Amino acid sequence: MTPLTPLTFDILLALADEDRHGYGIIKEIEDRSRADAAPSTGAMYLALKRMQGEGLLELSDRVDPADARRRYYRLTEMGRIHAELESRRLESLVVAARSKRLLTEGAG
Amino acid sequence: MIVRIVGWILALLPEAERSQIRDEALSVVRQRATEPRAGPRRAMFAGGEMWGALRLVAGAHIDRWNGTTTRGEARMIETTRQDVRFAWRTLRRNPGFALSAIGVLALGIGANAAIFTAANAFFFSPLPFEDSGRLVTVFETNPDFGWEDATAAPANLLDWREEVGAFADVSGYSEFTSQITTFQADGPVVVGGSMVLGNFFDVLGVAPVMGRGFTMDETWQGNGDVVVISHALWLDYFGADPDVVGKTIEFNGGPQEVVGVMPQGFHFPTADTQLWFTNRWDPAARTQVWFRRAHIVRAFARLEPEVSHETAQAQLEVVMDRLEEAYPGTNTRMGAGIMPMRDFLVRGVRTQILVLLGAVGLLLVLACANVANLMLVRANDRTREIALRRAIGAGRGRIVRQLLVESALIAGVGSVLGLVLGSAGVRLLTASQPLGIEGATALALDGRVLAFTAAIGLSAGLFFGIVPAIRLTSDDVDPTLRDGGRGNSGGRGGLRTVRALVATEIALALVLTLGAGLMIRTFAEMRSVDPGFSPEGLVAVQFTVPSTRYQNRDEVLAFYNEMIESLEARPGIVSAGTVGQLPLAGTSWSSQLKADTWGPDRVGYEVLHRRADADYFETVETPLLRGRLFDGRDGPEDPLVIVINEAAAEQYFPGEDPVGQRVAYDREPTPESNWYEIIGIVGNQHQESPKVEPRAEVFENRDQDWGRSSWVVVRGGGEVDGLVPQIREVLGEMDSMIPIARTRVLRDVWRTSMAREEFLLQLLSVFGAVALALASVGVYGVTAQAARRRTQEIGIRMALGAAKEDVVRMMIRQGAAVVAVGLVVGVALTMLTTTALASVLDPMLFGVRPTDPATLVTVVALLSGLAVLASYLPARRAAVVDPVSSLRAE
Repeated sequence: MTPLTPLTFDILLALADEDRHGYGIIKEIEDRSRADAAPSTGAMYLALKRMQGEGLLELSDRVDPADARRRYYRLTEMGRIHAELESRRLESLVVAARSKRLLTEGAG
Repeated sequence: MIVRIVGWILALLPEAERSQIRDEALSVVRQRATEPRAGPRRAMFAGGEMWGALRLVAGAHIDRWNGTTTRGEARMIETTRQDVRFAWRTLRRNPGFALSAIGVLALGIGANAAIFTAANAFFFSPLPFEDSGRLVTVFETNPDFGWEDATAAPANLLDWREEVGAFADVSGYSEFTSQITTFQADGPVVVGGSMVLGNFFDVLGVAPVMGRGFTMDETWQGNGDVVVISHALWLDYFGADPDVVGKTIEFNGGPQEVVGVMPQGFHFPTADTQLWFTNRWDPAARTQVWFRRAHIVRAFARLEPEVSHETAQAQLEVVMDRLEEAYPGTNTRMGAGIMPMRDFLVRGVRTQILVLLGAVGLLLVLACANVANLMLVRANDRTREIALRRAIGAGRGRIVRQLLVESALIAGVGSVLGLVLGSAGVRLLTASQPLGIEGATALALDGRVLAFTAAIGLSAGLFFGIVPAIRLTSDDVDPTLRDGGRGNSGGRGGLRTVRALVATEIALALVLTLGAGLMIRTFAEMRSVDPGFSPEGLVAVQFTVPSTRYQNRDEVLAFYNEMIESLEARPGIVSAGTVGQLPLAGTSWSSQLKADTWGPDRVGYEVLHRRADADYFETVETPLLRGRLFDGRDGPEDPLVIVINEAAAEQYFPGEDPVGQRVAYDREPTPESNWYEIIGIVGNQHQESPKVEPRAEVFENRDQDWGRSSWVVVRGGGEVDGLVPQIREVLGEMDSMIPIARTRVLRDVWRTSMAREEFLLQLLSVFGAVALALASVGVYGVTAQAARRRTQEIGIRMALGAAKEDVVRMMIRQGAAVVAVGLVVGVALTMLTTTALASVLDPMLFGVRPTDPATLVTVVALLSGLAVLASYLPARRAAVVDPVSSLRAE
């Protein structure tokens, strides 16, 4: 499997614990990282569209009572597997970095 | 703003995705745009969102193609993608070049987008009326009075309504907005009101959103005091009351019934119209002389479907001929004409917009020439790369394409940036001057502006891309490669192209700077005109003495007198006087004039009327030239007296003394005519603008021709700052319920009367400065390039003993030749187009002709100076080169 792009992984991560709409995904990414690390709206929707095409996520049937136009996205089984595989790949990279003393325990 | 731009970009999504993604993505952008962000962050965010939207659109299209394309198409798309990616990388490798090209282009495109937005609002956006192409303005003409598009007399208008078959209906409105005072619990409120005929809304074809419009019967007195209100007034005054229809609003000394509410944004005929009321003419007026003499209604008609303007005009003329015969006293030589309503409404700004469109057009060509130049210079650096690519088998077509994709990319980014600059420009424009047809259209960046920007961006890209592309690929491959890989010459041909471009830039800069120079002269001339009064230190406040508490003439006059006395008793106030209308702020009514000693053929065709008191002339420092001003001898019951201005004396009493003569305001006085004795002559005040000669004017005596609404003009000792509060205080002490309509600083009135010229001056100066900068950069570039090409030669010359000064002079001479060609072409261009130029520019100019030699010489000198400076810098650098190292560089 080729590594996921950072944005794809960010979106998978954002949807891992609950279904979210577009704005919610951006806010989640912002909260997790620095505010200016969030993707532009257009870039995110391009990613959402392609990820739907690849079967990584799908529309949820959850409806926002405040705004019906907001559609919620949720991970598919395949999306969850990809997210997990990517996490493992990253984890192995971190382990490797530690063993080469790039990272020390607890820091960074 | 950002939401709107992203919205436009997303409108380019493929059909299938548009409905789905666009709304959703937009709502996210909207929400994100409301989050707080500091200045630079905001800009970064906006840029990121636009770029993201572009990527989304491009990505969606690519996905769609990938899904549906044939193999041939797929290959083409793949090649294009490669080209774009390659172009992007190339540009990123050389960010200095890319940024300057994009910046210059964005400037040019931004200026065009901004001015085109204004032009769009004036010339193309439909008037917000039903089937507005059938609406025509009907005006009266009279060669005796010099009338070309006069307002109509009500009786004539009513006859057109009945007799001109081509008109489905005729209506009209007053061009002056009345300041209407109404009272709320916490004090008086003043709103703008427009007086209209009963069929006004019907003929325009605009229906109220609530209630009804007027009926034609309501044009006449005795059919109910009814008003229609604007959407804004409904919100502000009635608190959006859903049951407002049938409620009343108090003004004109009585309750007025609200019968309808107009749609949001409808303010025709003036931007400050908040309320419409009908003329309420006395039905008896139909047969009175004044009804055919007073030209007070701006008439407009709706043509019957399929009827041509020529037919309507012909029928109108037949009716006017009949009226001339039937009513010689009022209709002698009175004609009428029609023109499309839009043309009529934009007639005042047409020239201005055309001049600006021309100016930004030139600026864009200049910007393109500049970018083409940059590309050529850069292309020369790439000669070797391209020769190499051709040698290993790249076809000429492919390379041209590659280069064009690069320029398209620059043009694309430049256009988007230009659009952003343009919308900022539009905001600046509207802040300094209201644009759009007053009360009817506003500025908007709509699809047409977008299409225009895209079109000019694309043509710009082609324009500056094709020249270097052709130049670069036309050389034979071998010699360039054999050239020892210097790759810096581009051959003599390349330099020739660059020179031609720079000469073009100089020529265009000359024309633009000349335009700015002429406006500077115009503005200076206008400022030096004596307006006929001293505006410094004067303020004016317009107020109304309400009939609810001051019932009759004596009470009103007592109020005026007490007010003037109280004002003048104030320590900071030198003097105060009242006048019906401020100078340099337009005119009100006019009439004919006849002295009792004149024969039947002699008549004064037009005098303006204003009401004033003696204190007014002293306060504004307009001199009394002969006779006397109003005084105690001219009370309300005494014989009627007037003061006239110098223009009236010269025009209608040449070689005689007007003082002591008696005049009436009729062509043929009747026993009912009022006779006025001329008691004095005062200096002229410019009524409309310093550009327009003062017109003949009569001042009525405030105590005799009294009225309730007036301006009080006050002169303070020095600064104007504290004066308005003092006037408010005095009025407040006398009566806290006195409504103040408007306050003005007379210096601002003076400035405002030149606002149009100042506006044009500012814009043209900016364009001229940009043009100068771009042209200087061009000259710098061409000299620098020549210097680089001749490093070796310079080295040899200096090794052989040439002095630095000789080298510098040689290089400057070379730059100067290019500049001289540009200047000659520019001057020739101006001379050749003199007639066209004059017809466009003349209406904007004052005191200077479009071909003013002094301005031309100044501009040429300025450009030459800048050009010498721009070529001196690189020339000097070339001359400090160490001869040995420059030779060794080979």
